[in-house]
Amino acid sequence: MTEQRIGTDEWVEQHEARLATQSELRELVYGFGEQLPLWGRLGLLLLIGLFVPVLTSNPFHIRIAATIALMATLGVGLNVVVGYAGLLDLGFVAFYGIGAYAYAYLSSDFTGVHLPTLLTIPLITVLGAVVGFLLGLPSLRLVGDYLAIVTLAFGQIFVQLMTSLTRVDLSWVPFLTTDGPVNLTRGPNGIIELDSISIFGFVADTLTENYIIRLVVLILVLLFVHHLNNSRLGRAWRAMREDELAAEAMGMPTRLLKLQAFAIGAAIAALAGTLFAAEQKAVFPANFDVTLLITLYGVVVLGGLGSLPGVLLGAVIMIAVPEILRDIELASLLFYVGSVVALIGLIKPRRLVGLLLLNVAIIGLLVQVIAESIWPDSLAELPSVASVFPEFSVSIRFVTAIIDSLPEIVTSIVRNWLAIPVGNQELIGNIALAILIVLILIASRIKQTTQLLITLVPTMYLLALVWEIRLSGQESVTRLIFVGVVLIVLMIYRPHGLLGTQRIEIV
Amino acid sequence: MNGHDKSATPLLRLTDVNTYYGQIHILQDVNLEVYPGELVCLLGGNASGKSTTLKTILGLVTPASGTVEFAGEEVQHRSTSYRIERGMAVVPENRRIFADMSVDENLQMGAYLRNDKAEIEQDRERVLELFPRLRERLNQLGGTLSGGEQQMLAMGRALMSRPRLILMDEPSMGLAPLLVEQNFQIIREINEQGTTIFMVEQNANMALSIADRGYVLQTGRIVLEDVAENLLQNEQLRKAYLGR
Repeated sequence: MTEQRIGTDEWVEQHEARLATQSELRELVYGFGEQLPLWGRLGLLLLIGLFVPVLTSNPFHIRIAATIALMATLGVGLNVVVGYAGLLDLGFVAFYGIGAYAYAYLSSDFTGVHLPTLLTIPLITVLGAVVGFLLGLPSLRLVGDYLAIVTLAFGQIFVQLMTSLTRVDLSWVPFLTTDGPVNLTRGPNGIIELDSISIFGFVADTLTENYIIRLVVLILVLLFVHHLNNSRLGRAWRAMREDELAAEAMGMPTRLLKLQAFAIGAAIAALAGTLFAAEQKAVFPANFDVTLLITLYGVVVLGGLGSLPGVLLGAVIMIAVPEILRDIELASLLFYVGSVVALIGLIKPRRLVGLLLLNVAIIGLLVQVIAESIWPDSLAELPSVASVFPEFSVSIRFVTAIIDSLPEIVTSIVRNWLAIPVGNQELIGNIALAILIVLILIASRIKQTTQLLITLVPTMYLLALVWEIRLSGQESVTRLIFVGVVLIVLMIYRPHGLLGTQRIEIV
Repeated sequence: MNGHDKSATPLLRLTDVNTYYGQIHILQDVNLEVYPGELVCLLGGNASGKSTTLKTILGLVTPASGTVEFAGEEVQHRSTSYRIERGMAVVPENRRIFADMSVDENLQMGAYLRNDKAEIEQDRERVLELFPRLRERLNQLGGTLSGGEQQMLAMGRALMSRPRLILMDEPSMGLAPLLVEQNFQIIREINEQGTTIFMVEQNANMALSIADRGYVLQTGRIVLEDVAENLLQNEQLRKAYLGR
């Protein structure tokens, strides 16, 4: 043990070591990243991105990749406002919408204007910055929650306006002859049949072409924001986020700094909006609803506020995971693996997890035997486990076949083990769910290990039962529950996000 | 360091300053002057208006009436960043360093309004010479420093703007007695190197031991003004603040 330096206590001494243990994941990503120069990292990203359409021609997969690229771009923009400048902006999606609608007005038969893409995109980006700047002005005096409320209202106003500006009286405008009210937005029907992006005669008609454009824009935006963060402006933002008064006392023009953050974030959002509108070839007010805002905040917070690799990781998880969960068997596998992982985290010493699972398995078999003897014929007939196994052939294909059908095998094993009733599934499922909630509440209050283990045995059994007969069939609901649970658990264990740094507070 | 030239223009002059927080009248006709090269302290108990005076000087609060002159120029309607640019710097109460930024970055933030790279580097070197402890911790995050080190960092950060006047808000707050003494020696040293210092302090004894002159503030009014030695002898003051 080294001698302690004067003026530092143990806590300060161990600071570096603590950081290291807390963020192995961060170290892994950054440790690898630091060995590559910036262009190398971005090049690698481009390469991985370009590999997607090579690897798969399934439009569903390319759609996911394209959505991830778009969400990541938006996330990078939001990260400037929330992560760097520390402004809780809940109206961010409106700038995305403004960009999309501006594109619709400048490139469709609705207005009859068809500007070349190379002109519209810079124009709309600048427009986004200007609108962001102007809307930042009244918000300047607001901090924290108040800023959040006002910007949230602004986001909703945008959606409402786009929905309801269908009969606007423009007769007061000079030099404009209109007969009757004018339909400015076509309301919920949206503006349709927009032009595709075309650059030097290359027209991006297909999804794949649009995906590649999004990928390139994402990389350019990342490059821009990375340099921004390391600039004087970026440092000033961080200082302001830390301590606004102190930043002001250092001579930083905090009002201007906030407006700059608003404007740059809005410009990136508007740019993303054009890409969205051009690919969808239409814009609807519903595209810019609160759901998108929540997903976006999920992207930024999950990855870690202020971290660019974090935004990318956040976008991949927030977009890809719900898509993966559409596959019921895969969702089930994730559910069971997740439950076991949660148990491993919950129970110390860890070897007791094995004991617990063994007990759960035995209880399950007992329940089945009892249920079968009391109510013969009332249990669901299930395919035997052997029937879902792939045919045996000693070759490399066997391994991949196992991996491919792993979700199916696991689900089938669990379903055979559970006593699943034929009729009244909904009622039984609801009762089981109610008991399950009570059991979880009880378990969360128990400190003693033995009692906890005893409570967890029926809890785990009911968990599997509820999943199988009540949840796994309703993928749309389950997906959201799943994502919610993942987010909650993650925020408990890593409040600073996957790749974020832990904030230090001076008390 | 006592013989300032009264005929010279004061570096800082407050004339009949009245400051309000809403309806509450905080500063009432405050007059004070700080001459170039001086170390002046403003003493006063809790809620006497010390910090408000400092905020008025810095422009974080705008006075309802009266003038704030800095280097011969009226600045009461100017922004904080303008005043910093003209040569003010502040060591805020409770240090207020940027916790998530490294020691080095904290220092760079002090030079935010400067563009002269070579000279910024010079000043950084000077600060690190003055506070060798900061050099050891250059890449450590500000928030992980001990209280005394944070105070050093706050002072170093203020020096980085190469100020003509440093405003200090309670530099002794929350520090161990030994560190307080050490810090006041450094403040004295900075002053002797030519930087004018205006310090707000509750620890009257300590402040007066290094100051040239002092003002005493009571419920928003200046009630006493004298050279430091006389104030140390003053019966009233000793009863009120020195506790003996």
